[in-house]
Amino acid sequence: METPLTPTEYTIATLRKCVFLNGLEDSVLAVLASKIEPLLMEAGKTIVTKGETGSTMFIIIAGVAKVHDGEVTLATLKSGDVFGEIALLDSEVRSASVTTTCESLLLCIHRDVFYEALSTNPSAFKAVIRSVLQGKRGLINEIKARSLRLLSYQKEMEIGRRIQTDFLPKSVPDLEGWEIASCFEAAREVAGDFYDVFKLTSSSHLAFVIGDVCDKGVGAALFMTLFRSLIRASSLYGCIGSTLVDAGSENADDSANGVLLNSINMTNRYIATTHADSSMFASVFFGLLDTETGELSYVNAGHEAPIIFRKSGETEYLAVTGGVVGLFPAANYKVETATLNKGDLIFTYSDGVNEAKNTDGQQFGEARILKVATQQIDDVESFLCSMRDAVRSFRGEADQSDDITMLALKYLPSAGLAD
Amino acid sequence: MSTLNIMVGSAQGSVSVTVLRVEGDIDAATHKILQDKSSELIDAGTTHILLDLGGVNYMGSAGFRAIHAMANMLGDDSSTALAKSEYLKLLNPTDAVARVIKTLGFDVYLDIYQDREEAINSF
Repeated sequence: METPLTPTEYTIATLRKCVFLNGLEDSVLAVLASKIEPLLMEAGKTIVTKGETGSTMFIIIAGVAKVHDGEVTLATLKSGDVFGEIALLDSEVRSASVTTTCESLLLCIHRDVFYEALSTNPSAFKAVIRSVLQGKRGLINEIKARSLRLLSYQKEMEIGRRIQTDFLPKSVPDLEGWEIASCFEAAREVAGDFYDVFKLTSSSHLAFVIGDVCDKGVGAALFMTLFRSLIRASSLYGCIGSTLVDAGSENADDSANGVLLNSINMTNRYIATTHADSSMFASVFFGLLDTETGELSYVNAGHEAPIIFRKSGETEYLAVTGGVVGLFPAANYKVETATLNKGDLIFTYSDGVNEAKNTDGQQFGEARILKVATQQIDDVESFLCSMRDAVRSFRGEADQSDDITMLALKYLPSAGLAD
Repeated sequence: MSTLNIMVGSAQGSVSVTVLRVEGDIDAATHKILQDKSSELIDAGTTHILLDLGGVNYMGSAGFRAIHAMANMLGDDSSTALAKSEYLKLLNPTDAVARVIKTLGFDVYLDIYQDREEAINSF
């Protein structure tokens, strides 16, 4: 029959199991064991607090504790695990907090007691240094592994970004008498904003769309591809009986209204019913422009009102004509109209422009948009560049918190006439 | 870290109404507090909610998603008619929030009241 261990022998056995101390000779462990006592901690007790300086190392004999940073749990420690050992060697602040999750029995070793025990045997210091280096090697391997995983995620995100870019127009149509330009800057690798410009095949209409899917990152990006594709497909194609036809071709007189309502209603109904549980939505401005006459028909589904900058210096806002797309299946959208005259410019944008914040938390706001417009409106390309530069310079060192998307069209003044 | 305070009260009209008074900004960091609270109440049997937004100065898209999810959880079926929700109504939004509610079109689907008693009796 085995003789039960004495409390000191049990403590020595526990210390020996600890990687940080297992290079120490038994004589040193015995000195250490003679000076420390197990401590019973209740559940929920924070033993180490992030940011505070410490001078004690802990070994869990029985029980469980979590290593955490605020609400985020970084690791779970159990019997035989050690924490706070760095505090034995330096006086830096604790890098994370440790709290017991159930009643736990711990050994606490104070720095003074530790050095006193080591001083009984000069080779003990060598053993501790070896342990520290081993720990460092382990850490380096862990960092390497994590870096590789991170690299792999970054590659995936880059692939996602490239695929998403394919959902934006590669170029805008070249139309006589019109200038069109766009600007797109994602806040993260992938974005929830989108824009689109394409010609309808059934008429002389140019379709242009700008949208902003709620939320950011991957979720918004996935929905962005859905919104953009549904809007474009339902604008281009329809069915007469079982025949696929160009949308709007059945009733040419009312083609703009028909295409706009069919596209927005279909997209809204599909997302609001198929993806009801995700509560994802997008604000969308969808315009159909008759490029021969400047007549514009549009639906503004909860989007920032595009601004028409008239050649005369006046401004006109294209306010909302319905709610956001994707939430309420029976939503009702109205088509409104406006006329662009030669020399007029229409500016559509997402809230990443007017809600861009500087380091003081102030927003770029509409007044600054109007100010830029009064300074530079000669051609759409430089107009959007000026707007982008103004937002960047206003933001300063502050992070870009939202995607920035801008799309502008200008009806060129007649050739030979003064601008 | 931003926080959201939610006070739960109840009032009796034609039906029993749970009144949620929200204070703070409802944004990406806090919307889950509202979503979890309403989910907990609905699981426990709440059928009608009056959401008091008098203490909310900012509501981002995450807040609107939370409200939409609440309406869905309460069994709202806006797919069959344009009728407003019978189960979820809004009370006293601040000017800034009221503007966004209108822009996003939520006022078409949710009744908005300025007077608490009138709101309770409307259910």
